[in-house]
Amino acid sequence: MKIRLVLIIVLSNVFLSLHPQIVNKKALSERITGYKIDVRLNPDKKTVTGDMEAFWVNKSPDTVPDIRLHLYMNAFRSNRTTMYREMGGSPGNDEKDLGWIEINSFSDENGTDLIPCMQYISPDDGNKDDRTVLRVLLPRPALPGDTVNIRVNFETKLPSGIRRTGFSGDFYFVAQWFPKFGVYEPAGMRFASQGGWNCHQFHATSEFYSNHSVYDVSITLPSNHVTGSGGMLISEKTNGDMKTVTYRAEDIVDFAWTAWPGYAVFTDKWKGINITLLIPKDRIRQTGRQLTSVKYALEYLDINVGQYPWPHLTFVDPPSFGAGAGGMEYTTLFTSASSYFVPPFLHMPEMVTVHEFGHAYFMGMLASNEFEEPWLDEGVNSYWEQRIMDNYYGKNSGLINHRLLKLSDISSARVSYVTSPSRQAVSNNEYSWNYPHGTYSMISYQKTATWLHTLEGIITTETMNNVFREYYRRWAFKHPSGRDFINVVNDVVRKEHGQKFGPDMNWFFDQTLYGTGICDYQVSRIINSKYSKPEGKADTSDSEIRAWSNTDSLYTSKAQLERIGDVKLPVTVLIHFDNGDEILELWDGKSRYKDFEYKGYRQIEWVKIDPEYLIKMDVNFVNNSMTTEPDRASLHRIANKLVAFMQFFLSIMLL
Amino acid sequence: MKITSSLITGFRRTLKAGNSILIAWFCILILVLVFAYPLRSSLRSAFGPSMITEKFAEGINIEAFTDLGPAFKSLMSFLTAGFLFTFFAGFFLNAFLTAGLFGSVKKNDMKFSSREFFSSGAGNFFGFLLISLIMSLIADAVFLLVVGLPAGIASGSETISDKTIFVMLVITGAVYILILPALFLVVDYARAYKTAREDASLFGSIGKGFSFTFSEFRKSYGMMLLLVLSQVALGIVVILILPGWKPVSGGGVFFLFIVSQLMFILRLFLKTWRYASVTAMMNEITSEKVTVNKIYDVIPT
Repeated sequence: MKIRLVLIIVLSNVFLSLHPQIVNKKALSERITGYKIDVRLNPDKKTVTGDMEAFWVNKSPDTVPDIRLHLYMNAFRSNRTTMYREMGGSPGNDEKDLGWIEINSFSDENGTDLIPCMQYISPDDGNKDDRTVLRVLLPRPALPGDTVNIRVNFETKLPSGIRRTGFSGDFYFVAQWFPKFGVYEPAGMRFASQGGWNCHQFHATSEFYSNHSVYDVSITLPSNHVTGSGGMLISEKTNGDMKTVTYRAEDIVDFAWTAWPGYAVFTDKWKGINITLLIPKDRIRQTGRQLTSVKYALEYLDINVGQYPWPHLTFVDPPSFGAGAGGMEYTTLFTSASSYFVPPFLHMPEMVTVHEFGHAYFMGMLASNEFEEPWLDEGVNSYWEQRIMDNYYGKNSGLINHRLLKLSDISSARVSYVTSPSRQAVSNNEYSWNYPHGTYSMISYQKTATWLHTLEGIITTETMNNVFREYYRRWAFKHPSGRDFINVVNDVVRKEHGQKFGPDMNWFFDQTLYGTGICDYQVSRIINSKYSKPEGKADTSDSEIRAWSNTDSLYTSKAQLERIGDVKLPVTVLIHFDNGDEILELWDGKSRYKDFEYKGYRQIEWVKIDPEYLIKMDVNFVNNSMTTEPDRASLHRIANKLVAFMQFFLSIMLL
Repeated sequence: MKITSSLITGFRRTLKAGNSILIAWFCILILVLVFAYPLRSSLRSAFGPSMITEKFAEGINIEAFTDLGPAFKSLMSFLTAGFLFTFFAGFFLNAFLTAGLFGSVKKNDMKFSSREFFSSGAGNFFGFLLISLIMSLIADAVFLLVVGLPAGIASGSETISDKTIFVMLVITGAVYILILPALFLVVDYARAYKTAREDASLFGSIGKGFSFTFSEFRKSYGMMLLLVLSQVALGIVVILILPGWKPVSGGGVFFLFIVSQLMFILRLFLKTWRYASVTAMMNEITSEKVTVNKIYDVIPT
């Protein structure tokens, strides 16, 4: 056993010396996988061809008989692939439209041909037409500590009409383009009860779950193409009409790159981080907006979650004919989406930039499994995107800031959840491809963000920030699961609030994350009735009657509240009286109804449940409040403006 | 024949047609209220005694509306249906009112008579309706040709940049805006001609509309451009004042209503001025032609 341990250390050192640190002084992650790729882009055939040397270290205590690799470009091979079956449509019939990856040779470090050991498998749906996962039976099983080295010659054909990856004219966005290892999960890791590969097929809605890796990538391509990638540019050598660019990336979960002659390159810096923006030359007017928004995101996440640890960051604003590449995330490379003209009041490009950058944290560093727990990736990231947008672009105007219409990013997410007729169809606890009735986006992104804002409302913003700081501290450059996140929440809340919310916060997650119920509280009635003097054979004492000397102006006031939804959350209730008094009550929200009753020389004027609108999960804010004197002026104003609008509209439209 | 003389004549005739303008305003207000009043009641009913309406202090609040749930969907259906109904009903009403307004400004010595207004409106209703319909279709066709078609072709291209598309949209949009006054001239001349000669056929009137427009195109176009610009100026004032005005008290809301209606009456005044000026220009063109013909008549051949 000792010999084996020594061997592991020696091999690891030998291995690490092949991948010395270049980007960061220290490795940020456990180096389980690494890739050295040397490819050539053929602009006529739209192919990327070359060699790859890669390794996988068996860090588990298991003896592993095989390796599994993603061959995701095969998702574009036909309309029978799992991705196309899920999203409909077709990559087309023409060879130029299709995308695929062919393995020309596959051998181990000894040169043993592994092609006969290859087998396409479909662990998610058994689809025989899907070739996005490759299983390779090893000639000799990998023992604990073993490193499996592979050499692959492959040819990747890029699909046309970009959907995340592909080409359009001479614009290339090259993602999911090389054979990439899945994640071997030993028993106890995340949900694994026994060791095994976690290597899902390419799905319409998810594509990320990988080990943090080292990438040394050399790309030979026409010299007029401007390139960008998730790595740091190490060298660029021009040879006639062609050039070779070499990139180095460390501790990222995927490597993508782009090339196009039409890019303008802008650079900026934030706290020592070199920011590179590739943007179409005719769209440079958007540069300021893009760079500002990414710096906002860097600053906010740095303060409230944790440090962005790489010294470089590249983002791309694809041209309109390559818009299918927009809004994607590859940790240190991401794509935004804007256009030549975007009105300044509309913050959509900023929102996309902030969101995609946020993935450097949520899925990039905190490398959760997007296939199995998309909420932990997209939902958590959406939550932070919304906080960032509303923080920097206005509390009520994070998304739209026009004098006629304002919309906060948080509200936008909530509206999407609240208005969905399928909001109760499924919980958040589903694999990404199992969301029915088109609910993936609404549940994974918007519902998650909405209940995270609700959690923030309950435990306070500062505690929420501490939750994420701790989540980052414990799980950065690892593979957290939803349970791990909940454990962090429980620990931090217990530390900061004691038993205020019970022994743990599981009651919250059981209802919101794992449940399908809705939250809805309402004020059902306000009753102000004159206090009636005791009459007849009442047992009321004389002193009590005397205490209320003037019963003519003495009232019994009652606020009647109800819980309509199934979700039970603690809420505050603000009660306002006609003499200006205000009482803030706390209701645990568990019972179906609750009455607050007061006796005195005052009447209740209005009642508000959750007066700060912190419980974003509440699907109806309209019934959260009630007043005895409704103010109609604003409604009449809207109606009057509508009248004027209609008059002018008719007058303008009719000749 | 001068632009200014037509404009001044038109302005005088418009001043005299003040009561006709008020009738037109009142009719349009009633039409819009038929839709807006029940909507207001629906809003009141939907929000009930809720205090969420506080959120409207800053303007329209999408969240407050969507939280209405099924009531929001009903409101949206009502809004859509009401909007379409008002638009189509407005199309018919507009034909009637425009005919009445043209009737009120066809001569210099017109004195207001509601009977004249309504009889002109009724007499030329179908003619005006069809002229408006045909010219609206022509305007739509021109829009598709000038703006829609190039935009469609460009957006279908795989390599064209968004800047090119944007610049192209701006240019084609500007071209369309420059074409619009000419279309206004055609339709106004056609209606003025139909008002002057009630026995004129529909297509004969439209033909005359084109004929008058292009016989003195520069003067007619220049005059129409000024008239349109005056309307645009009012539009800018309206946009600057009304949408951002957010009174919170009942009195303030009533004042908003009064101001908005005064602005709309001013809008109708400017539109009537356009009709009157075009009519005056047509009268001048006709009288010049008559004079020229008379001169030719006396020249010995």
